[in-house]
Parts: sequence; structure tokens; C-alpha cells
Amino acid sequence: MKSCDEIRELVGAWGDGELSQAEAEAVRLHVEGCSACAEERRQLDKLNVSIKRVLASQQPIAFEPFWRGLERRISEKRSWPAGWLDRLRMPLGRPNLAWGIPALIGLALVLYSLGVWKEQTPRNNFAAVESIDAYGRNVALLRENETRTTVIWLYQNQEGDNETSGETSDQSPAF
Amino acid sequence: MKLPGKLRTRALLFSFLGILTAAYLGAAETASQAVKIKIDTILASNQNGEFDSRLKPLEKQLKLLKYKSYRLLKEESQNVPSQGNGSFQIPGGRTLIVSPQDFRDQQIALKVRLQGSEKPLLDTTLKLQNKGNFILGGPPHEGGVLVLAIWATVQ
Amino acid sequence: MELSDRELVQKCQLGEIGAFQELVSRYQQKVYLVILGLLRNPDDAMEVAQETFFRAYRKIKSFEGGSSFYTWLYRIAVNIAIDAQRRQKRNLLDFRDNMDEVFEEQQEVAKDPFADVHEKELREKLLSAINDLTPEHKAVIVLRTLEGLSYKDIGDILGCSEGTVMSRLHYARKKLQEKLRAFL
Repeated sequence: MKSCDEIRELVGAWGDGELSQAEAEAVRLHVEGCSACAEERRQLDKLNVSIKRVLASQQPIAFEPFWRGLERRISEKRSWPAGWLDRLRMPLGRPNLAWGIPALIGLALVLYSLGVWKEQTPRNNFAAVESIDAYGRNVALLRENETRTTVIWLYQNQEGDNETSGETSDQSPAF
Repeated sequence: MKLPGKLRTRALLFSFLGILTAAYLGAAETASQAVKIKIDTILASNQNGEFDSRLKPLEKQLKLLKYKSYRLLKEESQNVPSQGNGSFQIPGGRTLIVSPQDFRDQQIALKVRLQGSEKPLLDTTLKLQNKGNFILGGPPHEGGVLVLAIWATVQ
Repeated sequence: MELSDRELVQKCQLGEIGAFQELVSRYQQKVYLVILGLLRNPDDAMEVAQETFFRAYRKIKSFEGGSSFYTWLYRIAVNIAIDAQRRQKRNLLDFRDNMDEVFEEQQEVAKDPFADVHEKELREKLLSAINDLTPEHKAVIVLRTLEGLSYKDIGDILGCSEGTVMSRLHYARKKLQEKLRAFL
């Protein structure tokens, strides 16, 4: 006869319909007679439902633009890393460029040291947000591709909610 | 195969410069460095349609937020040492605390806390490209919302 | 009459791009959503989904029909996605595409704060907890829960035994339950 620990290892597979008939029957009988394992089964079902709801709620994509992108790849007959490699290839064989390259590197080092380059927002400006805790408040993250901007937006959970001195936003927001 | 004389010289020069570059950049990255943190505190609202001309460099980014008017309330910079804390006063009794953690591969790891007058509002850890910025917004202020544009540059 | 996957594959192997387009239309959403479940970022998921079908197109002549087309396709997709996860540390959190989405949510939250806060928190915690799993554990969760694939199919896709699939699922679910105890 299986212990509760052994049954709990099998409850998931039982719910998935992946146990043999004999094992499934043994688990079913145990769960019907054991409130702890029955509760384990309920919690697992809740988890599975939540996971499915969350994963399935993600935004699908339209077929046409997807197919067009894929067709372009097929007609170019290239995998995306190959394109990156091409851009990195340098024609070192040509004598003129073999002089030009060390000269360019030297010039770049000099300019960098002099701080000639103005401070400007780099092209890859996206921030990689690794963790966020809004202490129970709602927070949204936005990544906008055109300006490559990362926005962390903290908003009030309900009207009138404030965190400081009774301050509220008393106008309708832009949205 | 032995390279002809001239090509060998060029190859050696190229390799030497390459090593110099790598050493320079490597040293620059691995040394503990201070990070200049700059915060623009902006009030975004729908009260009028005015765009503060001092915010011109941020115009495209701010327009994402879809407010009608943007006014620069304050601009502040601090050099914050690695693992140190830079504290910036934000209107409404709030404080922004920025702590650079690490600099690697041109990415600055930051810990950022937005503190209310009584309790913390937000903690985040993120990696930002050197000289890059991000926007933190939402807290209400004077009929609008505060928008903080935060830059980090390794010194 | 609708052609079966096997018939479409045979036509692809003879060079009929139309047959391949039909296969793409059948599986594009499923493949994309599985990859999105693994990578979290829609742009990356799109890139990997296109790469999946591109590689499938290039390899279609060598597909011998030992497994079903969709398990073969998912195998390609999951392998690329797992490689992508290993190469890049991804953000844990879900990004919106524009502020309209953000502000719509703000209005939704303002209307019925309690239900939406809980739902939103659960969603964020769950996605974050799934993302904390190793790529292999994430893959079994996504393939089983989202696609409802059998342990045998999942094992075929991941190149492991059914027993390994079962123990990975058990471990992954336990981890998720621990992290989400307060929310479920």
C-alpha cells in the first residue's frame, strides 16, 4: 500500500491521465480516503488551471506578417545568425585596409580618451529589468521599440489611494 | 606559411593595437567606478498643452506617455560610487535612491528604490546600457503625475 | 478535402511552397504561444518562431515521418528556445507594447481594484515563477499545460524518457506551488 508521500508524487501524473490502470486505481482509492492527498489534488488542479489561463491569455500573432517575414527568410535562404556573421566579416586581406584598420583603432582610442564623443543615449537603450517589487501596488512595464525606451509605470490601485500626504491625482489621466 | 615582410609588420602592429584596446577597455570595465546618475523630474499633466523646451532631448520618449503637457521641475546629478547610494529628493515628500552595483559589458547594474514619506513604493533592479536612460513614472503630484527620467553614465 | 500533415509534408518535400504555407498556418499560433511561454518576450518569441519554421523548411526533405510532424516541429522550436534562454538572461517581467495598454489596465484596476489586483498579481507571480524554472522544467510545464501533450510526445520533443518528463513535471509543479501558495 502506498504512503501519502508516494501518492503525492503520482497525483500529477494521475490527473494527466498518464498512469497505468492499476496505478491510477490505487491513487484514486487513496485520494478518496485521504483528505490531505485530496487537498493536494485540488491545489494541483487550481495550479494547472491558473497556468493554462495565464499562458493561453498571451497575445497571439497575425498570420500574414508572420508568413511574409518567413517567406523573406526562405527566399534569402539564410538563417539569422549568418546575417550577423556577414556584418562582422572584415576584408583584412586587402593591403590598404590592413593599414587603415590599425589607424582607425588608434584614432578611436585617442578620441575616446579625449572624451570627444558627446554624451548621447546609446542605440541599444533598453533596460533589462531583473526584478520589481511595488509593495502591493500595480506596476506596468513598457518597452517601446521606436525610441527604445523602457518605462516603469507605478499607478495607484484605486482612486484616492496615496502614499504620502493626502495627495491625489484629481484629474482624469491622459488615457 | 611565412608572411612577407610588410604584411608581417602590419599584422604585428594590428595585433599590438588590438591588445592595447582590449587592455584599456578591460581595465575600464573591471575597475570599481563611480556612476554619474542624472535625474530629470518632470510633471506630466493634461492641464495645458505646453511642452517645456528644456525637455526637447526627451520629447520622443515623453510623447509615449500621451500627456498633453510636460514641465521640468528639477534636474539633478550625482556621482555615486559603486555599491554606494545616491539619494535624490522628489516632490511630494518622496526620495529616489539609486545604487550602482556592477559594470560589465557596457551594462550598469542598478538598484533603484522610490521611497514615499512613510514607506517604500517601488524597488527594482535593472541593467542599463552605459549612458542610457529609463523612465519611472506614475506618482501623483499637483494634478498630474511625476515622471522621472533616469540616466546612468560610468565615470 | 483537407490534407493531412503527412500529405502536406510530402508535397513540401517535392518543393511545393503552398503546402508549407498551409503547415505554417496550422501550427504558427501553437508554436508561437509555446515559445512565448518559454521566453516571455513577444519579440524574441516571434524571432524564434520564424527561425523554427525556417529550419523546418530547410530540413523538411530529411523528415522521415518517424514522429508526427508537430512533435518534430515542436522539437525544433523548443531546442531553439532553450538555447536562446541559455544565451540570454531574460527579464522576468512581462512588457507591454504601448502606454495605451498600460493606461487601459489602470482604468480597469481603478474600477474594480480588488479582483484585478489579485488577478494581476497572480499572473505576474505565476509568470515570474515559471520563468524562474530551468529551461527544461519550463518546457515540460508549457508543453503539458498549454498544449496538453502526452508524456510520450513531450519526451519525444525533449529527447528524454516519459519517466523523466513525469519527474520534471512533478518538480516544476512543486516549485510553482511553493511560490504561489498565498495566491492559489
